[in-house]
Amino acid sequence: MVGIELVSIYKPKSLSDALEFLDKNAPDVKPIAGGTELLLLIRDKKIKPPKYLLDLYPLKKQLSYVKVENGIVRIGALTTVYELSQSILHRDKRFAGFVDVYDKFGTMALRFEATIGGNLNAATQYSDYITLMLVFDASVRLESVKGVRELKLSEFVLDKRKTALNPNELVTEVVFREPPLDSSSSFVKFDRREILIAGIVTEATYLHLEGDTIKDVRISFDMVAGRRIPARALKTEEFLRGKSFTSDLLEEAAEKVLPSEMSRVTDWWTTADYRLEMSKVSLKRGLKLAYERVKGVR
Amino acid sequence: MVKVTLTVNNVKYELDVPPLERLIDTLRYRLGFTSVKEGCGRGECGSCIVLVNGNPVHSCLALTSRLDGAEITTLEGLAPAGKMHAIQVAYIEARGVQCGFCTPSFIMVTKALLDRVSDPDDKTIREWHSSVLCRCGSYPYYFEAVKRAAKYLKEGKVYFDEREVREKYHLKVLAR
Repeated sequence: MVGIELVSIYKPKSLSDALEFLDKNAPDVKPIAGGTELLLLIRDKKIKPPKYLLDLYPLKKQLSYVKVENGIVRIGALTTVYELSQSILHRDKRFAGFVDVYDKFGTMALRFEATIGGNLNAATQYSDYITLMLVFDASVRLESVKGVRELKLSEFVLDKRKTALNPNELVTEVVFREPPLDSSSSFVKFDRREILIAGIVTEATYLHLEGDTIKDVRISFDMVAGRRIPARALKTEEFLRGKSFTSDLLEEAAEKVLPSEMSRVTDWWTTADYRLEMSKVSLKRGLKLAYERVKGVR
Repeated sequence: MVKVTLTVNNVKYELDVPPLERLIDTLRYRLGFTSVKEGCGRGECGSCIVLVNGNPVHSCLALTSRLDGAEITTLEGLAPAGKMHAIQVAYIEARGVQCGFCTPSFIMVTKALLDRVSDPDDKTIREWHSSVLCRCGSYPYYFEAVKRAAKYLKEGKVYFDEREVREKYHLKVLAR
């Protein structure tokens, strides 16, 4: 790699050591976790090579975990996608959306490298874990030498490749409330092949049922209103909430309500019309999948 | 420069590397393990996959300076001298190889898979094979190879005599 010989790498002894180094040298430092995103950005000259890389591998033991305690789910930022697949999240039907994301995430080898914190921090419409975590209403925990703050994920991701993370902060944890028993989730990624692809439409659903009545529902898409980052389809959620789950209802939500809040773009991959049409289909599929999971059909 | 100690194929190396040297460059150009191939160089084709502490890792996305103390296995280290690993034999017998560029990676991925699951089902094999692209299209043959390798390992046949295998399948016999 040309032009990046001047970078030096720092290996912290502990989390507080890492935070101090960040604070002293920001904004010339880039923390590096799995490296599947940052090294490519440097290689493609999309960002200037930083003066220092902060190696996060030494913090791996401390920041790699999945815990469900006191009704709160906590995921350490350095947990790799493969480690997620070995955790409780892949054995409980309420978190079935995690299995869906995993099944279409990169390739097997990439799943050993990519971390959950890195995926959220990348902040693109292709970061499937952002789309998924939005429906769990997750928050990220940001730490710096000055203290800890927690931000809603929707406030954390500002724009494509832009987050609310200050240069002296580190994402250490993702937190969300444990969903109730009669709930489930799903994730739909639509494209021409199964894996190693961004997805021309991705959609995530969280559904909480009481009998056949939709008690709570959260839906997110890779993009909703113009901005190229994942966001919730709030109007569609509002429309569905409190109603009885029928195929007529899904049809109305997809055909009438969703298009009113969604604007899609045409690009190299496909047209806006096709994207919108597939978004409607994904919405219906995602809701149906989650419904079947709550009912135990799947 | 960063000082790192690497164990590659059970041999310890003490190296002084630039901070951003990629593992693939260390393995190929410093240490001469040329079974590691560079394809896309961006973690998509998987031709550069090696095992780092038993996990399959794209060596084009790994920095050597971050891997102090790691244990790395490439295809060269799969079997001791004069022997062939059951997975290698299975890949020869399945006859998938056309150009052979991706084969080392497929074998390493298979090793990682069979270390975790001794009797993988079809979906699992396809899932793990997704790591590597093969443009000759040898996937169905490689798929059979994994099943064959799993069978060998189950029967306790881990290493085969290299000379015997080479003579049996008319492969070039190395003078040893």
